[in-house]
Amino acid sequence: MINMMWSEKYRPKNLLDLIGNEEAKVSIVEWFGKWVKGTKPVLLVGPPGTGKTTLATLCAKQFGYDLIELNASDIRNKQRIQEMLAPILGYSNLLGKAMIFVDEVDGIHGRSDYGGVEALVDILKEPTVPIVLAANSDKADKMKNIKKVTKTIFLKPIPPRLLRLYLESILKKEGASLSAGTLLRLMVTSKGDIRSMINSAQALVTGFEPQTEKSFQSSDVEEGVNAFFKAKSIDEARAILYSLRIDPREKIQAFYSSVITSDLTKDDMQRMLQVISEADLIYGKIMKTQEWRLLRYLDSVLLGLYKEGIAARYSQFNLPWPVLNRLRWDGKAIRGLISTLAKRMHVSTSSFATFYFPYLLFCIKNKTLDLGLDETQNEILQKEMSALK
Amino acid sequence: MPMKFPGTCVVCKKKIEINEIGLWAKGLGVKHVTCAEVVELRCLVCGRPAGCSKCEFRDDCDLSKVSQLCICIKCRDLADPFTSYQKAVSKKFPLLNLKI
Repeated sequence: MINMMWSEKYRPKNLLDLIGNEEAKVSIVEWFGKWVKGTKPVLLVGPPGTGKTTLATLCAKQFGYDLIELNASDIRNKQRIQEMLAPILGYSNLLGKAMIFVDEVDGIHGRSDYGGVEALVDILKEPTVPIVLAANSDKADKMKNIKKVTKTIFLKPIPPRLLRLYLESILKKEGASLSAGTLLRLMVTSKGDIRSMINSAQALVTGFEPQTEKSFQSSDVEEGVNAFFKAKSIDEARAILYSLRIDPREKIQAFYSSVITSDLTKDDMQRMLQVISEADLIYGKIMKTQEWRLLRYLDSVLLGLYKEGIAARYSQFNLPWPVLNRLRWDGKAIRGLISTLAKRMHVSTSSFATFYFPYLLFCIKNKTLDLGLDETQNEILQKEMSALK
Repeated sequence: MPMKFPGTCVVCKKKIEINEIGLWAKGLGVKHVTCAEVVELRCLVCGRPAGCSKCEFRDDCDLSKVSQLCICIKCRDLADPFTSYQKAVSKKFPLLNLKI
């Protein structure tokens, strides 16, 4: 429990725990209470962190529905949406009391939509189970069609003073405190986003940084990575990792370049590269499927890099300088040579470079092969041979 | 006063037509009666105005955009303000008092 994120630990257990937007909450409870087959689905519109997903989840629990949660990535494709939803809509009695919750419906637009929104609108017209949609905004063009066939409920940002009340109740339970100035800044920077406020507060309380203005802008990669490796506890490392709000690709790259250029034991290097490889797999999956919800797991995976007292430090280059230098200056020449030789061997350049070239170098070094190359190409060969062990 | 000439409300920037009631001041312009009312959130616990003009977040709280029920300083200073808030929600919005 010690390592748990506060936003999860204090996730509302009932509607009274969910602060703000009382009228909106009443509207959705009434909608659930009166729901019969054919009732218009409901669309929850509100900025991030106002409790749309939590509200839908709590209502589903209360009214005894089995929540089937989809997000924008599931509803891009017409065929996929039909495959996923047709069984639920067609055989709702067999599958128990199903309720569909589609998150981030406004996140699907332009080229990413392969008829999914159209198919979804068709389903929304004749619902056989309760359907709740959630969107951060209803301004996109695609939302017009969805709004026509749904009842819209708006969730507004939470007033800062109410946020403060909620955060203070959490801090009290945690036996922690923050200075009045820090609290004030937290409320202002969170802009009504409860989740963001709780996460920032946890990062501050775990004490990786002094409570200064800087805590809110910790996007310096070098400082962040070094602070992570120097952290005195895993909690501190987690807080630093979370506060490092940079592009996930950049984050993985920063740790990769730092790890492979640091003076580490073989076992540590192996373990850390394994962790980075797992993080890279997650990022790859996110990019391939556009399931950005998986991003929340990236930091937990990268946390595996932490080991107290490890000598790793930040470096922005992923290869030692001599290697980088060679790649930069010799790369073009080597590519040219490989292209010439690949033609002679009647294989592709990549096959030649991967499988043939190293053996060829050995043959030439042992003076068993004359390729009839010009002076420059011979020089490059000599250079490559001198690098062979 | 009923407008003699058409104008534009200085608050909402919408038109105010002739004969429509508006508030005009020299040098300041004209505004709708509704736009002239001071917007203030209400305290969910005691039901009174939340005291937005004296709130520590007055510069950072967009009163027209946020959820309209808040808590006043007096109720916030109660022994256990969050429980008081929950009790008030439960009393004023009994539908939300669901047992999960």
